[in-house]
Amino acid sequence: MSAAVPAFFGVYQAKTDRLLKQLLPGTGGPVERSMGYTLHAPSKRVRPVLTMLAAELCGGTADHALPAAAAIECVHASSLILDDLPEMDNAPLRRGKPANHVEFGEAIAILAAFGLLNEAYAIIARSYEPALGAKLAALLAEAIGGDGLIAGQAADLLATEQKIDFELLERIHRGKTGSLFNASAVAGSMTAGGDAASIAALSAFAKNLGLAFQIIDDLLDVDGNPAETGKAIRTDARKTTFVSFSGIDGAHQLATELCEAADRALAPFGRRADNLRELSAFVAARQT
Amino acid sequence: MSTPPNDPRVDELRQRLRSLGYLDAGVDRFVLGPATGARRPASLAFLSSLRIGVLAALLLAPAATIGLSARMPNLVTGPRDALVVALYLGAFFGLAAALAAFIAGVIVARVSRTRFAHGNRLPRFIGIIVTLLCLGYLTLWWQTVIADVGWSAPVWTLSALAIAVATSLLLGHAVMVMASAIIVAASGGGAAARAESWTSMFLTGTVAFGGAVLLLTWWPLGNGSPRTPPPLTIVPTGAQARVIAIDGFDSRVFDDITRTRPLPALRAALDGATAQLDTRDLSDAGRIDPARVWTTVATGQPPAVHGVHGLETRRVAGLLGSVPAREQSPLGRAIRGATDLVRLTRPAIASGVERRAKTFWEVAAEAGLRTTVVNWWATWPAPHDAGTVLTDRAVLRLEHGGALDAEVSPPHVYDALRTRWPELKGQATALASAALAASLNGPIDSTIGDEAAAVVLQSARLDAMQLVLQATVTTPATDLSVVYLPGLDIAQHRLLGEATGNEPARVSALSMRLEGIKLYYVMLDRLLGSTRSAVANEILFVITEPGRVSADAGARLSIHGVGVGGGPVQRSGVDVAPTILFALGVPLARDLKGTPMLELFNRDLALRYPVRYVETYGPPAAATTDKRGQPLDREMIDRLRSLGYVR
Repeated sequence: MSAAVPAFFGVYQAKTDRLLKQLLPGTGGPVERSMGYTLHAPSKRVRPVLTMLAAELCGGTADHALPAAAAIECVHASSLILDDLPEMDNAPLRRGKPANHVEFGEAIAILAAFGLLNEAYAIIARSYEPALGAKLAALLAEAIGGDGLIAGQAADLLATEQKIDFELLERIHRGKTGSLFNASAVAGSMTAGGDAASIAALSAFAKNLGLAFQIIDDLLDVDGNPAETGKAIRTDARKTTFVSFSGIDGAHQLATELCEAADRALAPFGRRADNLRELSAFVAARQT
Repeated sequence: MSTPPNDPRVDELRQRLRSLGYLDAGVDRFVLGPATGARRPASLAFLSSLRIGVLAALLLAPAATIGLSARMPNLVTGPRDALVVALYLGAFFGLAAALAAFIAGVIVARVSRTRFAHGNRLPRFIGIIVTLLCLGYLTLWWQTVIADVGWSAPVWTLSALAIAVATSLLLGHAVMVMASAIIVAASGGGAAARAESWTSMFLTGTVAFGGAVLLLTWWPLGNGSPRTPPPLTIVPTGAQARVIAIDGFDSRVFDDITRTRPLPALRAALDGATAQLDTRDLSDAGRIDPARVWTTVATGQPPAVHGVHGLETRRVAGLLGSVPAREQSPLGRAIRGATDLVRLTRPAIASGVERRAKTFWEVAAEAGLRTTVVNWWATWPAPHDAGTVLTDRAVLRLEHGGALDAEVSPPHVYDALRTRWPELKGQATALASAALAASLNGPIDSTIGDEAAAVVLQSARLDAMQLVLQATVTTPATDLSVVYLPGLDIAQHRLLGEATGNEPARVSALSMRLEGIKLYYVMLDRLLGSTRSAVANEILFVITEPGRVSADAGARLSIHGVGVGGGPVQRSGVDVAPTILFALGVPLARDLKGTPMLELFNRDLALRYPVRYVETYGPPAAATTDKRGQPLDREMIDRLRSLGYVR
């Protein structure tokens, strides 16, 4: 396993960056600059890549899935801004740079987060025919809403400095990370007209991969290098994390097993899903 | 902080992750596996339903097999039968579950665009319904099992309920996964089946377990009464019981004959204390079926309890046991015809396999009395260790020879009879001929005609054979000796029943046939006269039943001997068995439908030997005697067909 970003990522990253730059150049007023600050910060674009790979796997094209991928990345960037706020995780560093609220102030950061969310729905509405657009919007709403990102973040905040059980931790992870991973895979499949079984398989892939991704995040917070991760470490010291339950080695082991399970969920696609398998291998071995 | 990879905490977390739907969520993939490529909700429902059917078959068939074995003792005679029954039930449950899942899937597809289908609500609702139905079904199945094996194994019950809960949750989850996938296919929503948390699954399982326990104890069938038969302690009355069952006996014909000809042996047998037996318990919608009637008499239980509903049953392909084949409804007949056509079932004759209640001679033998029984209906296969039993197939086996297929018990009796078979057969023929000679005033041909003469002689030989066999296996020490005589019913049915069933016969021919039947009464009298010798302390029970032709004539029990007096009374056919057991000093089971006819005995006897009770006699013994020979199923059907019992 290698920690290097898979070679095929480049094409998809470039497509995503290009579209995001085109839609949100990050110039103009403070809110626009604040939006661009987080959106265009160095990123692996794992979620958009997942969306486009899922679309290709279901017989569609990366280009047709690109707007959905960009919308999901907007939602993700928005969640990062909100997540770092003093009222939330109070993280000073993000993607190697000062957090958004540190750079632009809390008020502008909050407005930028709302702006990114708004833009996500606008991209969907502008890019797809109404029927598919409505489905994608519903998918995004569900991933963000009371059973998704918001629920995960709320549970996370309420659990800070409290001893929580494993099931609650999983619910937090499912909401904060898993829901958007799931939406990424399903959205890609939907843009390609994927069948229910394909969606179910990709959903299972994303579910396992999302949790593995979060476990690795927890591990990087414990023993990662701030220079590589681009964010301060030990910020989760007040929280119960996966590492609290299993220890570092145990967490590594389970993250690897989750990635393997994610690979097995791709069995119906055969070799066509090799890029997704590379993605899970990258997640299992990532250092940043 | 570093932890070795084999830390038990990791194992525990792995299990909890699985319960949350991570790692290998095998059921989900199994259910949705074949649906790859299926775009339409209906085809997804169809393909996933098939997989759910497979799951249901694997999960439910073993439980159902155990339950069915308990409901129908002797159906499952060994591991092979258990496997075949499990396969049948697996196919049944698999198809039923697949059909139910498909219907549920179609309904889900129809309502998938409604508000109710939003998120996981609808799949979860359907999953809960399936879980509850499955759990209720499995719990009640288990109740039928413990109804027969008793509550003596709480550990088994708790384990069974735990398995039922796990099985139900798994099936419910499978259906929930399918429903989620159908909603995705129908509406394009992204709601994937969301696994419940480990805690909520545990809580749900605990609640389900508690519910199953409540259902088990609350449901009316589970009255908690002990079903394990207690040991039977007899208080000997000193009596030896001899029981003669005469099928086809019409008391009006008998009275008519006795006006012109004396029938001393029959008259002696029928005098004494008598009870008219209500035949409503014995007939099936007015139709007299000998297996049903005589099993009711022998068990003291109605057909609904003893399980023998008719002479004809069905043998299921691949099974040694058989199942009842009631013909009451057109649907039942259609199903029977269809399964016969595809050779899934084939005709068979009622046997002890269907019987779920002990006969009075089995109870007496279990109480330690020496018993013999000859030729009673539905006695094959002979149980192990239930006295001397010459089943309704014994004569066939003796004629064919070869290894036993449980026609006679114990096996050494068969060896002895088989060695003497030519001699015994000769005795029976001579006895029948002598009885015939003593009955006739002139040549038989001119008296009743060739056809009737042949029928009468064949029937007489049959009865003579049973009487010879009874005399051979009964010793002075035998406490209870029972014989069933079918000859009169056979003769009557063939001479009158078959003739009137088709085109009208000529008056002269009918008259000769009627004469033939009357002649048979005289012959029977001579047969009994020449074979019966009363023993000291004997109580003779003669049970007559009008048979298939004279169903309206009324059945009767006549008793005479020591301690007998009183009557006549009006009772039911189910009261015969308790009466015989009472006379022998055997305690009666409280769950018997019949009660003893104390009015037929002296007050003295009833006072000295008050009726004692036990809770139950339990089900008949599952173990049969020596069963290595070639089954005589085909020969039995041919024989009964030749005697006019089956078409």
